[in-house]
Amino acid sequence: MVQPLSGQAIYVVLLRELKRYWRAKARIISSMAQSFFFLAIFGLGIGGFVGGFGGISYLSYLAPGIIGMGLLFGSVFSGVSVIFDRQFGFMKEMLVAPVSRTSIVLGKVFGGAMTASIQGIILMTVAGLMGAFSPTLTLIVGAIAAIGVMILITAGFVGLGVAIGSVLTDFHAFQLLVTFVMWPLFMLSGVFFPIEVAPVPLQVAMLGDPLFYGVELLRWCLLGAGTSLLGPFGWLIALGVLVGFTAAMVVIGTYLFSRAQV
Amino acid sequence: MTTYHTGGLTEISIIEVNELTKVFNNEIRAVDGISFTVEEGEILGFLGPNGAGKTTTLNMLATLLRPTSGTAALDGHDIITEPDAVRRSIGYVFQDPTLDLELTGRENLDFHGRIYGLKRDVRRQRITEMSELVQLADRADDLVKTYSGGMKRRLEIARGLLHHPKILFLDEPTLGLDPQTRRSIWGHIQRLNQEKSITIILTTHYTEEADYLCDRILIIDFGKIVSLDTPDKLKARLEGDIVSLALKDPTKIVEIRPLLEEKDWVRRINVVASSNSHATMSQMMQMMRGMSGSAGMGGMMPGMNSGSVGGSGRMPKRVQRMLAQGIGSEDDQHVLDGGSESLNLLVDDGGHRIPEIVKLADASGVVLESVELHKPTLDDVFLSVTGRNIRDERGSFIETVRRHRIVQQARGRRDVG
Repeated sequence: MVQPLSGQAIYVVLLRELKRYWRAKARIISSMAQSFFFLAIFGLGIGGFVGGFGGISYLSYLAPGIIGMGLLFGSVFSGVSVIFDRQFGFMKEMLVAPVSRTSIVLGKVFGGAMTASIQGIILMTVAGLMGAFSPTLTLIVGAIAAIGVMILITAGFVGLGVAIGSVLTDFHAFQLLVTFVMWPLFMLSGVFFPIEVAPVPLQVAMLGDPLFYGVELLRWCLLGAGTSLLGPFGWLIALGVLVGFTAAMVVIGTYLFSRAQV
Repeated sequence: MTTYHTGGLTEISIIEVNELTKVFNNEIRAVDGISFTVEEGEILGFLGPNGAGKTTTLNMLATLLRPTSGTAALDGHDIITEPDAVRRSIGYVFQDPTLDLELTGRENLDFHGRIYGLKRDVRRQRITEMSELVQLADRADDLVKTYSGGMKRRLEIARGLLHHPKILFLDEPTLGLDPQTRRSIWGHIQRLNQEKSITIILTTHYTEEADYLCDRILIIDFGKIVSLDTPDKLKARLEGDIVSLALKDPTKIVEIRPLLEEKDWVRRINVVASSNSHATMSQMMQMMRGMSGSAGMGGMMPGMNSGSVGGSGRMPKRVQRMLAQGIGSEDDQHVLDGGSESLNLLVDDGGHRIPEIVKLADASGVVLESVELHKPTLDDVFLSVTGRNIRDERGSFIETVRRHRIVQQARGRRDVG
């Protein structure tokens, strides 16, 4: 049976995500601080050691990757939280309501994407204040484009989170998720080193990481420079891969979620 | 005034359940071919121990679980082919709390109204109406995490009614609440049923709750219906009186039991233990809480979106083993606390038989600590039809932890309200 999408249901899930995000001040502050430490300690510390790449400082190189990290963790966890909701909470309430599972997932995707992107915007500002981006007029355009990219990235990863959350049924698997999914995705995304300097097997692995394309795109937007490995139209390729990934994840997440039972 | 019904004048029951079955993992028959009907305006109670199949049945009726076989119709809509219509007709108050604690009472109700597609002014009016009905109007704008257990329960009931369902499911509505709050919840349930003539199915393992509230009681055990009747008729089935004997030395039960069994006026003998597994559970949980400090999820969780990752995340093997031995065992009637076992006899004309029983005990050298006589209660009915005491905890480990969690949450903030 096909149920129509319900705008109200999508809105409710989205609004709930936003309200909860906003009311959990400690979480906002701690995630900001964490990214700040990364930027300050790695950016300045390793930066002093290696200098920079291709004319940009290491701090500048690092900044888009750290934003990507915030987006990745924020959005996947937001998606995975459907497990807890489903077993113990609010989601059960929605599952007996006459709304389609798709509406619920879409609300989750929009809500998670919005909160994670807000976090990304905060990180972008912090990095900017630390001098990671050169303050030009094009940066304004770039920053706006970057926000679009953030929404795309986070929507995909919330979808991934929902898919994982629909399949996992207990908390024990959570540690496995962090170790075997989140960390590799993060470390292979070209946050710390450019793909060109990596040995070929590692390059292949990095090219298989969707977040790699996200971080590259952010780098194109915010620094005007990206890896030469993807060629002169690298940003277009990255955008294409990212759109494909996001669409696939939302579809898969929706499918797995609607199959899952309480 | 009579309202017109889908079926017009023909007699169609508001709930018709037909051979409903749910098998988990191809082997566990959680619900085993049950059939029954419920009339409009009736309060039906599912009575059974933990793991008997009550919640599974409810979840199937509420379209949350797909039956393995069989089906049911609610308000004329089939749960398998018309789940949406069914969902519109029902309200469900879950056993475990499903309120969003980070939102206010009003927001919780408002979200519910939106999900059910109620327009803004209808929502506003019903939220006022419902929060007054459950006496929460003055606290509606406070965060739910500041509510007491009883207030949360009332809010959930209000929420379940916001979209004016014809049928309301209440899964263990008073689990973990203190007696006073329980009474007041009962009052609310009765009022709803009478004023709005809502059909109510509730599950409980409190016999006095079933006795007090329900028009009919369906006793369910191991997924099957054991009996279905009004509380009075159920009790009337046990002709005679219950005489409870507490022995100074419970091991002597084996000595006196055969003597009693010989008497033709003793209809039935049951050994009853007052099980105390909840206390055991509390100790376990305390132990676990002490250990959960090491059960981190790694420091890397910016933006973690749920607060529910509690101390029950991981469990040392030692505790799991203890729990498996202590609580899951089939034999817990006898092991839990040996000191409080007693013998329950169903006796014809109990008052006149007590002297004889005492004499019998004296003659066989058994010292009686107390003798009690009472009319059969639903507890006794339950014992006689299932052979077990309803208060014996049973069920899986996860189920036990889950119940403990609910009880803890319900008791959590009694100080506030």
